[in-house]
Amino acid sequence: MIVGLDPTSGSLDKLPDKGTALRPKTLDGTVIAFIANGLGRGVDLMDALYAELSRDTAFAGAIKVKKNSVSIPPEPDDWERILSEATVAVTGFGG
Amino acid sequence: MASVQALQAPQHAYDDHDALVDDYHGRGWTDGLPIVAPTPEKVAHFLAVAGLHGDEILGLVPTREVTVTAEQVAINAVMAGCRPEYLPAVIAAVKAHLHEKANCHSTTGTLSGAFQMVIVNGPARGNLDIACEGACFGPGFRANATIGRALRLVIRNACRAIPGFLDRASFSTPARYSMCFGEDEEGSGPTWTPMHVERGFDATDSTVTVQSVMVVVPATDFMARTPEAVCDTLVSTIRSKGSSGDVFLGGSGEIVVVIGPEHRRFFLEAGWSKADIRANVHPRITAPDGPGRPVKFPDDEPERLLLVAAGGAGMGESWVFIPHLSRAITEPIRSVTIASAELLEDRP
Repeated sequence: MIVGLDPTSGSLDKLPDKGTALRPKTLDGTVIAFIANGLGRGVDLMDALYAELSRDTAFAGAIKVKKNSVSIPPEPDDWERILSEATVAVTGFGG
Repeated sequence: MASVQALQAPQHAYDDHDALVDDYHGRGWTDGLPIVAPTPEKVAHFLAVAGLHGDEILGLVPTREVTVTAEQVAINAVMAGCRPEYLPAVIAAVKAHLHEKANCHSTTGTLSGAFQMVIVNGPARGNLDIACEGACFGPGFRANATIGRALRLVIRNACRAIPGFLDRASFSTPARYSMCFGEDEEGSGPTWTPMHVERGFDATDSTVTVQSVMVVVPATDFMARTPEAVCDTLVSTIRSKGSSGDVFLGGSGEIVVVIGPEHRRFFLEAGWSKADIRANVHPRITAPDGPGRPVKFPDDEPERLLLVAAGGAGMGESWVFIPHLSRAITEPIRSVTIASAELLEDRP
Protein backbone atom coordinates (compact mmCIF):
# COMPACT_ATOMS: atom_id res chain seq x y z
CA MET A 1 0.00 0.00 0.00
CA ILE A 2 1.13 3.55 -0.66
CA VAL A 3 -0.14 6.78 0.91
CA GLY A 4 -0.15 10.13 -0.86
CA LEU A 5 -0.82 13.62 0.44
CA ASP A 6 -3.42 15.97 -0.99
CA PRO A 7 -1.52 18.72 -2.86
CA THR A 8 -4.32 21.30 -2.83
CA SER A 9 -5.17 24.16 -0.51
CA GLY A 10 -8.57 22.62 0.11
CA SER A 11 -11.30 20.84 -1.73
CA LEU A 12 -13.07 22.82 -4.39
CA ASP A 13 -16.24 21.06 -3.24
CA LYS A 14 -15.98 22.93 0.05
CA LEU A 15 -15.79 26.42 -1.41
CA PRO A 16 -18.38 28.61 0.29
CA ASP A 17 -21.46 29.16 -1.79
CA LYS A 18 -21.74 32.89 -1.90
CA GLY A 19 -24.80 32.77 -4.12
CA THR A 20 -25.76 35.54 -6.47
CA ALA A 21 -27.20 38.97 -5.89
CA LEU A 22 -30.94 39.43 -5.98
CA ARG A 23 -32.26 40.17 -9.45
CA PRO A 24 -34.90 42.92 -9.81
CA LYS A 25 -38.04 41.83 -11.65
CA THR A 26 -37.67 44.72 -14.05
CA LEU A 27 -34.98 47.24 -14.89
CA ASP A 28 -37.56 49.97 -15.52
CA GLY A 29 -36.97 52.85 -13.14
CA THR A 30 -33.59 51.57 -11.98
CA VAL A 31 -30.26 53.32 -11.99
CA ILE A 32 -27.76 51.09 -13.75
CA ALA A 33 -24.02 51.29 -13.23
CA PHE A 34 -21.44 50.14 -15.77
CA ILE A 35 -17.93 49.42 -14.51
CA ALA A 36 -15.42 49.12 -17.33
CA ASN A 37 -12.05 47.56 -16.50
CA GLY A 38 -10.14 49.91 -18.80
CA LEU A 39 -8.74 47.25 -21.09
CA GLY A 40 -9.12 47.47 -24.85
CA ARG A 41 -12.54 48.76 -25.86
CA GLY A 42 -14.19 47.90 -22.57
CA VAL A 43 -15.81 51.33 -22.34
CA ASP A 44 -17.23 50.97 -25.86
CA LEU A 45 -18.60 47.56 -24.89
CA MET A 46 -20.38 49.00 -21.86
CA ASP A 47 -21.77 51.89 -23.94
CA ALA A 48 -23.09 49.44 -26.51
CA LEU A 49 -24.63 47.32 -23.78
CA TYR A 50 -26.37 50.38 -22.32
CA ALA A 51 -27.71 51.31 -25.75
CA GLU A 52 -29.03 47.80 -26.27
CA LEU A 53 -30.66 47.58 -22.85
CA SER A 54 -32.18 51.04 -23.26
CA ARG A 55 -34.22 49.86 -26.24
CA ASP A 56 -36.59 47.99 -23.95
CA THR A 57 -35.96 49.63 -20.58
CA ALA A 58 -36.79 53.02 -19.14
CA PHE A 59 -33.81 53.55 -16.86
CA ALA A 60 -33.96 56.27 -14.23
CA GLY A 61 -30.29 56.91 -14.79
CA ALA A 62 -26.91 55.44 -15.58
CA ILE A 63 -23.52 55.64 -13.90
CA LYS A 64 -20.44 54.90 -15.97
CA VAL A 65 -17.13 54.15 -14.28
CA LYS A 66 -13.81 53.32 -15.89
CA LYS A 67 -11.34 51.72 -13.54
CA ASN A 68 -7.77 52.96 -13.53
CA SER A 69 -6.42 49.43 -13.61
CA VAL A 70 -7.76 45.95 -14.16
CA SER A 71 -5.89 44.98 -11.02
CA ILE A 72 -7.58 47.24 -8.49
CA PRO A 73 -11.17 48.15 -7.55
CA PRO A 74 -12.77 51.43 -8.60
CA GLU A 75 -11.62 54.56 -6.80
CA PRO A 76 -13.34 55.14 -3.42
CA ASP A 77 -15.44 58.02 -4.77
CA ASP A 78 -16.67 55.84 -7.61
CA TRP A 79 -17.45 53.02 -5.22
CA GLU A 80 -19.44 55.38 -3.03
CA ARG A 81 -21.39 56.65 -5.98
CA ILE A 82 -22.18 53.15 -7.20
CA LEU A 83 -23.27 51.94 -3.78
CA SER A 84 -25.38 54.99 -2.94
CA GLU A 85 -27.01 55.62 -6.31
CA ALA A 86 -27.08 52.46 -8.39
CA THR A 87 -29.81 49.82 -8.24
CA VAL A 88 -27.89 47.33 -10.34
CA ALA A 89 -24.37 47.22 -11.75
CA VAL A 90 -22.70 45.50 -14.67
CA THR A 91 -19.01 44.77 -14.77
CA GLY A 92 -16.72 42.51 -16.74
CA PHE A 93 -13.26 41.09 -16.95
CA GLY A 94 -10.83 40.08 -19.63
CA GLY A 95 -9.53 42.12 -22.49
CA MET B 1 15.24 8.44 9.07
CA ALA B 2 14.22 12.03 9.70
CA SER B 3 11.31 12.34 12.06
CA VAL B 4 8.03 12.84 10.27
CA GLN B 5 6.64 16.14 11.49
CA ALA B 6 2.91 16.51 11.84
CA LEU B 7 1.49 17.07 8.40
CA GLN B 8 -1.92 18.58 7.81
CA ALA B 9 -2.82 17.48 4.29
CA PRO B 10 -5.48 14.78 3.91
CA GLN B 11 -4.02 11.38 3.12
CA HIS B 12 -5.15 8.95 0.44
CA ALA B 13 -4.23 5.25 0.39
CA TYR B 14 -3.71 3.18 -2.76
CA ASP B 15 -2.81 -0.38 -3.61
CA ASP B 16 0.26 0.70 -5.56
CA HIS B 17 2.08 3.62 -7.16
CA ASP B 18 0.27 3.34 -10.49
CA ALA B 19 -3.09 3.56 -8.77
CA LEU B 20 -1.95 6.71 -6.95
CA VAL B 21 -0.77 8.37 -10.16
CA ASP B 22 -3.98 7.49 -11.98
CA ASP B 23 -6.10 8.86 -9.15
CA TYR B 24 -4.08 12.11 -8.95
CA HIS B 25 -4.56 12.56 -12.69
CA GLY B 26 -8.25 11.84 -12.29
CA ARG B 27 -8.63 14.40 -9.53
CA GLY B 28 -7.01 17.08 -11.70
CA TRP B 29 -3.95 17.37 -9.45
CA THR B 30 -1.30 17.04 -12.16
CA ASP B 31 -0.15 18.87 -15.27
CA GLY B 32 -0.86 15.75 -17.31
CA LEU B 33 2.61 14.29 -16.90
CA PRO B 34 3.48 11.49 -14.48
CA ILE B 35 4.29 12.54 -10.93
CA VAL B 36 6.34 11.29 -8.03
CA ALA B 37 4.13 10.03 -5.21
CA PRO B 38 4.06 12.63 -2.39
CA THR B 39 4.23 10.22 0.51
CA PRO B 40 4.21 11.66 4.05
CA GLU B 41 7.75 10.41 4.59
CA LYS B 42 9.09 12.05 1.45
CA VAL B 43 7.31 15.35 2.10
CA ALA B 44 8.53 15.44 5.70
CA HIS B 45 12.05 14.74 4.46
CA PHE B 46 11.87 17.67 2.04
CA LEU B 47 10.69 19.99 4.80
CA ALA B 48 13.41 18.77 7.14
CA VAL B 49 16.17 19.28 4.59
CA ALA B 50 14.90 22.81 3.95
CA GLY B 51 14.55 23.50 7.67
CA LEU B 52 10.90 24.37 7.30
CA HIS B 53 7.78 23.72 9.30
CA GLY B 54 4.89 22.62 7.19
CA ASP B 55 2.51 25.19 8.63
CA GLU B 56 4.70 28.15 7.66
CA ILE B 57 2.56 30.50 5.58
CA LEU B 58 4.28 31.58 2.37
CA GLY B 59 1.61 33.84 0.97
CA LEU B 60 -2.02 34.45 0.14
CA VAL B 61 -4.27 34.83 -2.85
CA PRO B 62 -6.99 36.94 -1.23
CA THR B 63 -9.38 36.93 -4.18
CA ARG B 64 -9.38 33.13 -4.11
CA GLU B 65 -9.41 32.79 -0.32
CA VAL B 66 -6.22 30.77 -0.62
CA THR B 67 -3.43 30.47 1.93
CA VAL B 68 -0.30 28.72 0.69
CA THR B 69 1.82 26.81 3.21
CA ALA B 70 5.26 25.24 3.10
CA GLU B 71 3.66 21.81 3.36
CA GLN B 72 1.58 22.35 0.24
CA VAL B 73 4.65 23.54 -1.63
CA ALA B 74 6.71 20.57 -0.46
CA ILE B 75 4.00 18.16 -1.61
CA ASN B 76 3.92 19.73 -5.05
CA ALA B 77 7.72 19.85 -5.23
CA VAL B 78 7.86 16.11 -4.57
CA MET B 79 5.23 15.54 -7.25
CA ALA B 80 7.24 17.65 -9.71
CA GLY B 81 10.27 15.42 -9.30
CA CYS B 82 12.42 17.84 -7.31
CA ARG B 83 15.32 16.71 -5.20
CA PRO B 84 14.94 17.77 -1.54
CA GLU B 85 17.66 20.38 -1.83
CA TYR B 86 15.65 22.18 -4.53
CA LEU B 87 12.85 23.00 -2.09
CA PRO B 88 14.31 26.33 -0.82
CA ALA B 89 14.42 27.56 -4.43
CA VAL B 90 10.83 26.47 -4.99
CA ILE B 91 9.79 28.15 -1.73
CA ALA B 92 11.46 31.39 -2.84
CA ALA B 93 9.74 31.21 -6.22
CA VAL B 94 6.35 30.71 -4.59
CA LYS B 95 6.94 33.63 -2.23
CA ALA B 96 7.92 35.82 -5.16
CA HIS B 97 4.86 34.81 -7.15
CA LEU B 98 2.57 35.50 -4.19
CA HIS B 99 3.91 39.03 -3.72
CA GLU B 100 1.05 41.48 -4.14
CA LYS B 101 2.64 43.12 -7.17
CA ALA B 102 3.28 39.75 -8.80
CA ASN B 103 -0.49 39.69 -9.12
CA CYS B 104 -1.17 35.95 -8.92
CA HIS B 105 -4.91 36.19 -9.49
CA SER B 106 -4.60 38.15 -12.72
CA THR B 107 -1.51 36.48 -14.15
CA THR B 108 -2.79 32.93 -13.65
CA GLY B 109 -6.39 33.58 -14.61
CA THR B 110 -5.77 35.66 -17.72
CA LEU B 111 -7.17 34.79 -21.12
CA SER B 112 -3.65 35.42 -22.47
CA GLY B 113 -2.24 32.31 -20.81
CA ALA B 114 0.71 34.13 -19.23
CA PHE B 115 3.40 31.93 -17.71
CA GLN B 116 5.72 32.37 -14.77
CA MET B 117 9.43 32.60 -15.55
CA VAL B 118 11.92 31.71 -12.79
CA ILE B 119 15.48 33.06 -13.04
CA VAL B 120 18.08 31.82 -10.55
CA ASN B 121 21.11 33.86 -9.53
CA GLY B 122 24.02 33.28 -7.18
CA PRO B 123 25.80 30.18 -5.88
CA ALA B 124 22.62 28.08 -5.88
CA ARG B 125 23.01 27.75 -9.64
CA GLY B 126 26.11 25.64 -9.13
CA ASN B 127 24.89 23.91 -6.00
CA LEU B 128 21.66 22.79 -7.65
CA ASP B 129 23.12 22.32 -11.14
CA ILE B 130 20.85 24.91 -12.76
CA ALA B 131 21.52 25.21 -16.49
CA CYS B 132 22.45 28.73 -17.62
CA GLU B 133 24.07 28.15 -21.00
CA GLY B 134 23.16 26.09 -24.07
CA ALA B 135 19.51 25.00 -24.34
CA CYS B 136 18.80 26.44 -20.88
CA PHE B 137 15.18 27.31 -21.73
CA GLY B 138 14.39 23.75 -22.73
CA PRO B 139 14.25 20.18 -21.45
CA GLY B 140 17.12 18.07 -20.21
CA PHE B 141 18.05 19.68 -16.90
CA ARG B 142 16.47 18.25 -13.80
CA ALA B 143 16.73 21.32 -11.57
CA ASN B 144 15.42 23.70 -14.23
CA ALA B 145 12.62 21.35 -15.21
CA THR B 146 11.39 20.42 -11.77
CA ILE B 147 11.72 23.78 -9.98
CA GLY B 148 9.67 25.44 -12.70
CA ARG B 149 7.22 22.55 -12.74
CA ALA B 150 6.83 22.70 -8.96
CA LEU B 151 5.85 26.37 -9.12
CA ARG B 152 3.28 25.59 -11.79
CA LEU B 153 1.83 22.70 -9.75
CA VAL B 154 1.54 25.04 -6.74
CA ILE B 155 -0.24 27.57 -8.95
CA ARG B 156 -2.60 24.83 -10.08
CA ASN B 157 -3.21 22.91 -6.88
CA ALA B 158 -2.80 25.51 -4.14
CA CYS B 159 -3.74 28.68 -6.01
CA ARG B 160 -6.59 26.99 -7.89
CA ALA B 161 -5.53 28.06 -11.38
CA ILE B 162 -7.20 25.10 -13.04
CA PRO B 163 -8.02 25.30 -16.76
CA GLY B 164 -11.73 25.92 -17.22
CA PHE B 165 -12.07 27.08 -13.62
CA LEU B 166 -9.91 30.03 -12.54
CA ASP B 167 -7.42 29.57 -15.39
CA ARG B 168 -9.30 31.09 -18.32
CA ALA B 169 -6.48 30.89 -20.89
CA SER B 170 -7.66 30.71 -24.50
CA PHE B 171 -4.62 28.70 -25.57
CA SER B 172 -2.15 28.61 -22.66
CA THR B 173 1.46 27.80 -23.50
CA PRO B 174 3.94 24.92 -23.15
CA ALA B 175 6.04 27.30 -21.03
CA ARG B 176 3.46 26.65 -18.31
CA TYR B 177 4.85 23.15 -17.84
CA SER B 178 8.09 24.70 -16.63
CA MET B 179 10.24 27.77 -17.27
CA CYS B 180 13.33 28.09 -15.11
CA PHE B 181 16.94 28.88 -15.90
CA GLY B 182 19.93 30.59 -14.35
CA GLU B 183 21.89 33.69 -15.29
CA ASP B 184 25.27 32.89 -16.82
CA GLU B 185 27.12 35.14 -14.39
CA GLU B 186 30.48 33.53 -15.16
CA GLY B 187 30.00 33.95 -18.90
CA SER B 188 29.49 37.68 -18.77
CA GLY B 189 32.75 38.76 -17.17
CA PRO B 190 33.34 41.45 -14.57
CA THR B 191 31.75 44.16 -16.71
CA TRP B 192 28.24 42.90 -16.13
CA THR B 193 26.62 42.95 -12.72
CA PRO B 194 24.45 39.89 -12.03
CA MET B 195 20.76 40.68 -11.98
CA HIS B 196 20.27 39.91 -8.29
CA VAL B 197 23.11 42.29 -7.37
CA GLU B 198 21.51 45.01 -9.47
CA ARG B 199 18.37 44.37 -7.44
CA GLY B 200 20.05 44.85 -4.07
CA PHE B 201 21.45 41.48 -3.10
CA ASP B 202 25.04 40.47 -2.48
CA ALA B 203 26.86 38.47 -5.12
CA THR B 204 27.15 35.64 -2.60
CA ASP B 205 23.37 35.53 -2.10
CA SER B 206 21.26 33.10 -4.06
CA THR B 207 17.94 34.35 -5.37
CA VAL B 208 15.08 33.59 -7.66
CA THR B 209 13.37 36.27 -9.71
CA VAL B 210 9.86 35.50 -10.93
CA GLN B 211 8.10 37.40 -13.66
CA SER B 212 4.79 36.58 -15.33
CA VAL B 213 5.19 36.75 -19.07
CA MET B 214 2.53 37.29 -21.70
CA VAL B 215 4.59 37.62 -24.90
CA VAL B 216 7.93 36.07 -25.89
CA VAL B 217 9.80 37.43 -28.89
CA PRO B 218 13.20 36.36 -30.21
CA ALA B 219 15.52 39.25 -31.04
CA THR B 220 17.42 37.47 -33.78
CA ASP B 221 20.15 39.35 -35.62
CA PHE B 222 23.06 37.58 -37.29
CA MET B 223 24.45 40.72 -38.86
CA ALA B 224 24.93 43.03 -35.87
CA ARG B 225 28.60 43.52 -35.03
CA THR B 226 28.51 46.44 -32.63
CA PRO B 227 26.77 47.11 -29.33
CA GLU B 228 24.77 49.87 -30.97
CA ALA B 229 23.53 47.51 -33.67
CA VAL B 230 22.46 44.89 -31.13
CA CYS B 231 20.65 47.63 -29.19
CA ASP B 232 18.86 48.64 -32.40
CA THR B 233 17.56 45.08 -32.73
CA LEU B 234 16.49 44.97 -29.10
CA VAL B 235 14.65 48.28 -29.48
CA SER B 236 12.81 47.23 -32.64
CA THR B 237 11.91 43.87 -31.11
CA ILE B 238 10.60 45.40 -27.90
CA ARG B 239 8.69 48.12 -29.75
CA SER B 240 7.10 45.51 -32.01
CA LYS B 241 4.99 44.60 -29.00
CA GLY B 242 5.29 47.46 -26.50
CA SER B 243 4.02 47.12 -22.95
CA SER B 244 1.05 48.91 -21.43
CA GLY B 245 1.13 50.92 -18.26
CA ASP B 246 -0.92 50.09 -15.21
CA VAL B 247 -1.76 52.27 -12.20
CA PHE B 248 -1.47 49.37 -9.76
CA LEU B 249 2.05 48.60 -10.98
CA GLY B 250 3.15 52.21 -11.46
CA GLY B 251 3.63 51.68 -15.20
CA SER B 252 4.56 48.58 -17.13
CA GLY B 253 6.10 45.73 -15.20
CA GLU B 254 9.66 44.66 -15.93
CA ILE B 255 10.64 43.52 -19.41
CA VAL B 256 13.22 40.76 -19.26
CA VAL B 257 15.83 40.65 -22.00
CA VAL B 258 17.97 37.53 -22.03
CA ILE B 259 21.10 38.27 -24.01
CA GLY B 260 22.81 35.36 -25.68
CA PRO B 261 26.60 35.04 -25.94
CA GLU B 262 26.78 35.93 -29.65
CA HIS B 263 25.22 39.30 -28.86
CA ARG B 264 26.78 39.64 -25.45
CA ARG B 265 30.33 39.51 -26.76
CA PHE B 266 29.91 42.75 -28.69
CA PHE B 267 28.93 44.52 -25.48
CA LEU B 268 31.73 42.93 -23.48
CA GLU B 269 34.41 43.60 -26.11
CA ALA B 270 33.37 47.27 -26.19
CA GLY B 271 33.24 47.50 -22.40
CA TRP B 272 29.51 48.14 -22.23
CA SER B 273 27.87 47.45 -18.88
CA LYS B 274 24.22 46.62 -18.39
CA ALA B 275 23.71 50.27 -17.40
CA ASP B 276 25.21 51.34 -20.73
CA ILE B 277 22.72 49.14 -22.58
CA ARG B 278 19.84 50.61 -20.60
CA ALA B 279 21.07 54.13 -21.32
CA ASN B 280 20.85 53.34 -25.02
CA VAL B 281 17.66 51.28 -25.05
CA HIS B 282 15.40 52.76 -22.36
CA PRO B 283 14.80 56.20 -23.93
CA ARG B 284 14.05 54.64 -27.29
CA ILE B 285 11.57 52.02 -26.10
CA THR B 286 9.72 54.52 -23.91
CA ALA B 287 9.55 57.33 -26.50
CA PRO B 288 5.88 57.94 -27.28
CA ASP B 289 6.59 58.43 -30.97
CA GLY B 290 8.32 56.00 -33.27
CA PRO B 291 7.65 52.66 -34.88
CA GLY B 292 5.57 50.08 -33.06
CA ARG B 293 4.29 50.62 -29.55
CA PRO B 294 6.13 52.25 -26.64
CA VAL B 295 6.80 50.71 -23.26
CA LYS B 296 5.09 52.54 -20.43
CA PHE B 297 7.95 52.40 -17.93
CA PRO B 298 8.21 55.32 -15.53
CA ASP B 299 10.79 57.76 -16.93
CA ASP B 300 13.00 57.44 -13.87
CA GLU B 301 13.04 53.66 -13.67
CA PRO B 302 15.24 52.30 -16.48
CA GLU B 303 16.03 49.41 -14.16
CA ARG B 304 12.65 47.96 -15.12
CA LEU B 305 14.52 46.70 -18.14
CA LEU B 306 16.01 43.53 -16.68
CA LEU B 307 19.07 42.29 -18.53
CA VAL B 308 20.11 38.68 -18.05
CA ALA B 309 23.03 36.75 -19.54
CA ALA B 310 22.17 33.21 -20.60
CA GLY B 311 22.14 30.81 -23.52
CA GLY B 312 24.68 28.99 -25.64
CA ALA B 313 27.02 29.89 -28.47
CA GLY B 314 26.20 29.87 -32.15
CA MET B 315 22.96 31.76 -32.59
CA GLY B 316 22.96 35.54 -32.97
CA GLU B 317 19.99 35.85 -30.73
CA SER B 318 18.59 37.34 -27.58
CA TRP B 319 15.08 36.90 -26.17
CA VAL B 320 12.55 39.48 -25.05
CA PHE B 321 9.92 38.64 -22.44
CA ILE B 322 7.04 41.11 -22.24
CA PRO B 323 5.21 40.98 -18.91
CA HIS B 324 1.62 40.36 -18.08
CA LEU B 325 0.20 42.67 -15.39
CA SER B 326 2.94 42.11 -12.84
CA ARG B 327 6.22 43.29 -11.40
CA ALA B 328 9.25 41.02 -11.36
CA ILE B 329 9.93 39.99 -7.77
CA THR B 330 13.27 38.74 -6.43
CA GLU B 331 13.36 36.58 -3.31
CA PRO B 332 16.39 35.13 -1.54
CA ILE B 333 16.81 31.39 -1.46
CA ARG B 334 16.93 30.68 2.23
CA SER B 335 19.96 28.69 3.29
CA VAL B 336 19.38 25.19 4.46
CA THR B 337 19.37 25.49 8.23
CA ILE B 338 19.59 21.83 9.14
CA ALA B 339 22.74 19.91 8.34
CA SER B 340 21.45 18.06 5.32
CA ALA B 341 24.17 15.47 4.86
CA GLU B 342 22.78 13.15 7.47
CA LEU B 343 19.25 13.59 6.21
CA LEU B 344 20.27 12.98 2.63
CA GLU B 345 21.73 9.64 3.70
CA ASP B 346 18.24 8.74 4.83
CA ARG B 347 16.56 9.90 1.66
CA PRO B 348 13.44 7.79 1.29
